This record gives sequence, structure tokens and C-alpha cells, in this order.
Amino acid sequence: MIRLLLAALLLLPGAARPQLPDFSEAETRAILRHGPWPAPWTRDPSNRVSGQPQAIELGERLFFEPRLSPSGKVLCATCHAPFRGWQDARARAFGLVEVERNTQSLMNVRYQRWFGWDGAGDSLWAQSVRPMLDLREMGGSQAHAAALVRADAELACQFQKVFGVAPPASDEAVLAGIGKALAAFQETLVSGRSPFDEFRDALSRNDLSAMKQYPEPAQRGLRIFVGRGNCSACHFGPAFSNGEFHDTGLPFFIKGGVDPGRHGGIRKLEANPLNLLGPYNDDRSGASAVKTRQVAIEHRNFGEFKTPSLRNVAQTAPYMHDGSLATLADVVRHYSEISPDRLHADGEALIRPLRLSAQESADLVAFLESLSERASALPPRQPASACR
Amino acid sequence: MEKRRNPVQRLRRELSVAILLCSGPIVACELPPGVRIESAQLNVSYWTKPAKIAIGEPFVLELAACPKTGAPVPERVRLDAHMPEHRHGMNYKTRVVPLGTGRFHSEGWLFHMPGRWEFVFDLGTERLTHSVRVE
Repeated sequence: MIRLLLAALLLLPGAARPQLPDFSEAETRAILRHGPWPAPWTRDPSNRVSGQPQAIELGERLFFEPRLSPSGKVLCATCHAPFRGWQDARARAFGLVEVERNTQSLMNVRYQRWFGWDGAGDSLWAQSVRPMLDLREMGGSQAHAAALVRADAELACQFQKVFGVAPPASDEAVLAGIGKALAAFQETLVSGRSPFDEFRDALSRNDLSAMKQYPEPAQRGLRIFVGRGNCSACHFGPAFSNGEFHDTGLPFFIKGGVDPGRHGGIRKLEANPLNLLGPYNDDRSGASAVKTRQVAIEHRNFGEFKTPSLRNVAQTAPYMHDGSLATLADVVRHYSEISPDRLHADGEALIRPLRLSAQESADLVAFLESLSERASALPPRQPASACR
Repeated sequence: MEKRRNPVQRLRRELSVAILLCSGPIVACELPPGVRIESAQLNVSYWTKPAKIAIGEPFVLELAACPKTGAPVPERVRLDAHMPEHRHGMNYKTRVVPLGTGRFHSEGWLFHMPGRWEFVFDLGTERLTHSVRVE
């Protein structure tokens, strides 16, 4: 009897029949590669205090410490503001003066291989001290940062607790310690789950009812993303970034010259005494330094910039390395109408105009918006305790 | 005066010498298990660690080369890979360490995109290629 009733219900006109996505096997495989989330993560072997609670606490204190800038006015959180998705919502970063590039969000930064738009940092800890030393950003020096940590009783006490020794005489060694504590803190910045993650996991377990909750425009946009748009070739994996560098057809002329992008980044990396080939790398196996030793520099690297993560992307406008595109719709239009003439002649044959219709563009934006976390996964900040 | 041997004994002795001369190279050129490819002068086996290549994850590649009859053992070796359809290579150059007897260890491998990658092995004057699809 119950069976008959169920059958009758299914046959009723207008009975709720799920609009099931009909992704092909290849599309399904491509979608599943963007999860699970949060992705597994292991502590950074190049940073011996990675994941340590005391280092996280010191790093958080330093992140909000204005005295790291001699002016006392610029702190890491000036550009990486927690309430703005850990970026600054400006087209181009402004520390002491405006610079040429957009501030990247620090959310999910622990999953990256290279750091900064040009990848000049090969570790999160080396990258973390870079703005302190830039005259246009925090305007400090390693001597200034080291003197602060030695002279401030709280910071010196915390440094000793984290590293087991008082801040050493070498300014560079103190700076490396500052960077490692800052990195330990930033490694905790992981975004929460998004509507896309719920859909992706439902797809993996073939849960049709849960899949239905994902809006149809986002589903259609997802199909473009992993299919015809080929967006997932670069925006790959759970963090939606392959961690490498590409020419996206944006002008790289800046006031007074050109932004060399990855080419300049590799040159800076080679010259950085804090790179992973140097004495501050705590990874005795040497495995973490292979990328730095083997990275290739080529002419095509001019004007290449790192593929950014797309998680929480709707919260991090404006977009691109120079902040030149104000909205996600502008970004989609850029890739829809891009002229191949604007790409490196000897570069990759990856990007071509997508020629999306208005509906398709809106769908792709709907998909990108579905990558935002439903709720923050970060614990509320605790007041710093006194160091004893 | 050397004692004369009968023809059967002489043939047996010559065959033994011939077998001894052949057995060295055959043992040295046994290829370990791996992906087998060949060129005009070389048989090659290669394998990666980990065995399954993951996008964005570094891996190690080891290779053993076995010269076909009369061919020299390769000394100069260059190992690389590219994506023909995308018209780009890796963003890293590999470092090759010879392990002796035609075996090589290499590091610096990282495939940063899904799709078809083509290994390009330059071993002496020989070029061998092999395509893999990585997802």
C-alpha cells in the first residue's frame, strides 16, 4: 500500500522532482579535485616553530605590532585587515605610500608554494618580513625590528619561550625568528566551508538531495569553470590555485617602467639571504629547498604573476595583481574578451577569449561567489597573556 | 708442446669463453621494473617516486638505460618534460645525478597543471619521449 502511494506521488504532475546535475565523468573528476575542504596540511618543515601554540601567539602579537614600522603607524594588519578578508580592499597596497600591486588575502596562505604575486618568497616566514624592509610599505630595517624584540620585555620573553634562546646578537637571525613566528600565526588562517564544498562532497557520495541545494546558476558556472573555460587548469585543487605563474594579458607597464613579475621575483629570491638555501632553513632533509635550487628563469616569466586562490574571492575585490578589475564580473569579462595579442608571443597557449554570453558570464560569477565560506572557521581572538 | 684437443673439446671451450664474454653486459643491462621505452640504440626503464604523479606535488624520477648491442653507455643526460598542447614546460629544471651502470636519479620535477605531459629524455645522442596524462 505504501509502495503504491509513493508511486502515485511520483506520478503526480508537479511533484517535486530534483533538478539533478548531469555532470559527465570527466567533469565530475575535475570537480572532485577541488576538495575536500579544509585540505590536509602538514607543518612547514623549514620552520621549526610551525604549528606551535607559543609561536602562534607571538606571531599574532607581532602581526598587530605597529612599532615594527619606525613610523609607528604601519603594521601587517594595515594592509592585511582581518575585517576585510585579510586584505585592504584597495586597488593597490598603501603602507607609507602606494605601491604597484594589489594586496593579496592571507586566508589559506599556508597552502601556497611561493609567496607574493611574483613568488619572491619561497617560505611564508621569509615573505612575512619583506614588507618590514620595504621603504614604501613599513619602512623598517632588520636592525630596527631586532632592536624592538630585544628591548621590549614582553617580546623578548616570548621570543625566548618560542625559540629556547634570547633574541640573538645577529639582527638577521632575529628577523628570521620574527618571520617564523609571523608565519606560524598566518598558518592558522583557514577559511570555512563554502556552498561549493557542500555540493562537491554531496557529489562525491552521490547524495542527490544535498546536491540539489546548490543553486543552478552556480552549477552552470561550475561546468564552464572545469570545462569550456579551462579555468581549473590554473585554479587547480582544493585551494583553487596551482601555485605557479601565468601571463593573463594585463598590461605590466607601471609608473616609471615595467613590473617584471615572476622574472623579477626569481631574481629577488636568489638574492634573499633568508631563502631556503640559506642557513635559516630548519629542514635538514633539504627537500623543502629543492624548488628554490631548481626553479628555472625564462624570458616568458616577464609579466607572469601567481595564480591566486579563489576561496572567499567574492570578499577580496578588487582583483588581479594590479587591482585593475573592480568586480568579479569585470574579471569574467576580461577572460571572455581577452585579445591573444596581449599575451606573450613565446608564452603558454592557454588563454583564449571565452566569448561568454551574458547568461554564461552571470553563471560563472554565481559559481565564484559560491566559493565564499558560510561562516568563519577562525577562533575568536584572545587577549595576549603576559609572558613569564 | 701443447697437447692437441679433439674438435668437440675445442668447440666446448670456445663456447664457454663466448658465454663468459656475453654474460657481463647482459647482467649489467638488466632493466629494473618501470615504464619501458626504447630508441634506436637504447632500452630505457623509468619510474617516479611517488609512483603516482600528483599535480603540484614534487616528485623524483629515476631512470635506467641499457644500450643495445654496440651502442655506448650514455654519459650526458638531460631530463625534462613539457605540455605540448599548452606550449609550455615545467617551471623547474631537473638535477640529474648519475648512479653508475646507466642509472640516473633526478629531482626538481613538478607538474603544475592537469593534462598531457611529455617526458623528454636526452641520453647522449638519443632522444626518447613518453607521454603521460596527469589528473
